[in-house]
Amino acid sequence: MKKLLVISLSLVLILSVSTSCKKKVKEVPPPPPAPQAQEQPRVEKVEEPVLKEPVLSEEEIFQKKTLEEINQEKPLGMIFFDYDRYEIRSDAVPVLEANAQWLKNHPTVKILIEGHCDERGTEEYNLALGEKRAKSTMDYLISLGISPDRIKIISYGKSQPLDPGHDETAWAKNRRAQFLIIEK
Amino acid sequence: MRKKHILSGLFLALLLVIALLIPAGSQQEVVLTIREGVPAISLAVPPFIYDGSIPRAKEAAETIHQVLQADLNYSRVFSLVPREHLSYIRPLNPKEIFFKDWESIQTRILVVGEITQAQEKIVFEAKIYDVKSERMILGKRYQAEPEAFRLVAHRLADELMKIYGEKPYFTTKIVFVSNRDGNDELYMMDYDGANQTRLTFNKWRDYMPAWSPDQRAIVYTSYRAGNPDLVILYPYEGKMVPVSTKGTNFSGAFSPDGKKLAFCSTRDGNAEIYVSRADGSNIQRITYNSAIDTAPSWSPTSREIAFTSDRTGFPQIYLMDAEGGNVRKVSFGGDYLDSPAWSPDGERIVFVSRVNNFFDLYLLNLKTNQITKLTETKSRNESPSWSPDGRHLVFSSNLSGSIQLYSIDYDGSNLRVLTSQGENKLPNWIN
Repeated sequence: MKKLLVISLSLVLILSVSTSCKKKVKEVPPPPPAPQAQEQPRVEKVEEPVLKEPVLSEEEIFQKKTLEEINQEKPLGMIFFDYDRYEIRSDAVPVLEANAQWLKNHPTVKILIEGHCDERGTEEYNLALGEKRAKSTMDYLISLGISPDRIKIISYGKSQPLDPGHDETAWAKNRRAQFLIIEK
Repeated sequence: MRKKHILSGLFLALLLVIALLIPAGSQQEVVLTIREGVPAISLAVPPFIYDGSIPRAKEAAETIHQVLQADLNYSRVFSLVPREHLSYIRPLNPKEIFFKDWESIQTRILVVGEITQAQEKIVFEAKIYDVKSERMILGKRYQAEPEAFRLVAHRLADELMKIYGEKPYFTTKIVFVSNRDGNDELYMMDYDGANQTRLTFNKWRDYMPAWSPDQRAIVYTSYRAGNPDLVILYPYEGKMVPVSTKGTNFSGAFSPDGKKLAFCSTRDGNAEIYVSRADGSNIQRITYNSAIDTAPSWSPTSREIAFTSDRTGFPQIYLMDAEGGNVRKVSFGGDYLDSPAWSPDGERIVFVSRVNNFFDLYLLNLKTNQITKLTETKSRNESPSWSPDGRHLVFSSNLSGSIQLYSIDYDGSNLRVLTSQGENKLPNWIN
């Protein structure tokens, strides 16, 4: 009998514990009410997905530009000459090497080399001298492996000075060969 | 003043000699060879007579009178009797000329002009008298619209030049390059700078023009196709013909006989001189040299060509036959000589030489081999070109700060400016 009592007591205890546990569960707040069907629909934004531009290759950027834009960036450096001379000066060699490299990187490009002179010569002689400057510049680029088909030359004599001044500083700037990209 | 008196004394003595040489009653005109410093034929141009009721008659009389006097003054063939001397004698009566009066004020030639009207148009009648023989030696009538009044005067001045065996040039034009409209274009003007007229209308550079001897064609360099091409423009026909389009082509020059064209080209790789027919056909190369050969200028016989070459290291003046043979150097000394132009009498070559960064004009006398400095302006004087009679030259100079055209006489006197709008260069009168 005593044994029965113990079992029943422990049962009661377990039950009471379990009920107390149940009570705790019941204390959890009730779930929120279900959304009402009558509520206004949310505004959906309809947008075309934004395509992120892919990174262009250097070649593609180059092809996108106009000739004018490319020439404005002056990718090819000009070179200068001594008075009444048309030989390539040593300080012009690195410029021409860089120009040749650029032309190799842009194999479709064709260029015009313009020969210019300072004002201290006659019109006739300077026109001939300007051409000799353009030609020696072209020959140097050819020696660096640039195809002659890609190069045209022109002489402007003294008619297009870079610096309108009348001193040695201006003259030194005006005795030059400069590059124009005419085809890409 | 003192010099003037001496000169007029010399002139009187000369007149006396001539008067003694002319048989009485002879109508033969004596052709004087001009000597430096001696005034030539003394000529009076009293104001022209006009009827004030004719519209524009006053304008015609004054314009023609002023332009004619300017032409004759410029010529150095004639010397004008000073206007104040006219007050010493009786006023001109065209119906009855008192030749002794004119003789007393040392007039040899008297020009009498009158403006009349025919069919509502201005008519200018000129009578030229030889005072000594009291004879009319020329009569001319011109009908003209107001815009041609200057031309009327130039025509009469040309007639006077012809009477004395001189080459007339008052109606000739100077062709040149101007940037007054923003781009180098060809223009032409009268010899005195009047009537400046644009000839080309484009966006590219037009350069180094030169007349044909009849002034009907202009050879020049055009950058029209992105290349300095040599082309011939026929301005009165509105026609342009390309001559050489490969390489740099420039310094075109028609031969004085009008049959050939010389020019410089790099069409074979280096600056060489070529000769073609006047229409640009049949191009023949005449120099073979690794140096720069340029600036061809024909001799008046059209049988020789003066040119510039730097075959000795510096540009110098050379002559050769028109076929390229017989090349000889004619300039010695100086390290930069260019732009030779052969004088119409064949005796002299004007060229440009650079000394201490100044460019001046020099005359090389081919007979004496002497060189005379013609300009002394401490500036850049360039592109000389002779007048048809060889007494004057036109050239460009930056004397005033901007490049303008000037004319100067063969002895360095009478420098005058011809242009002012924009910058003006590369003038060509003949050759």
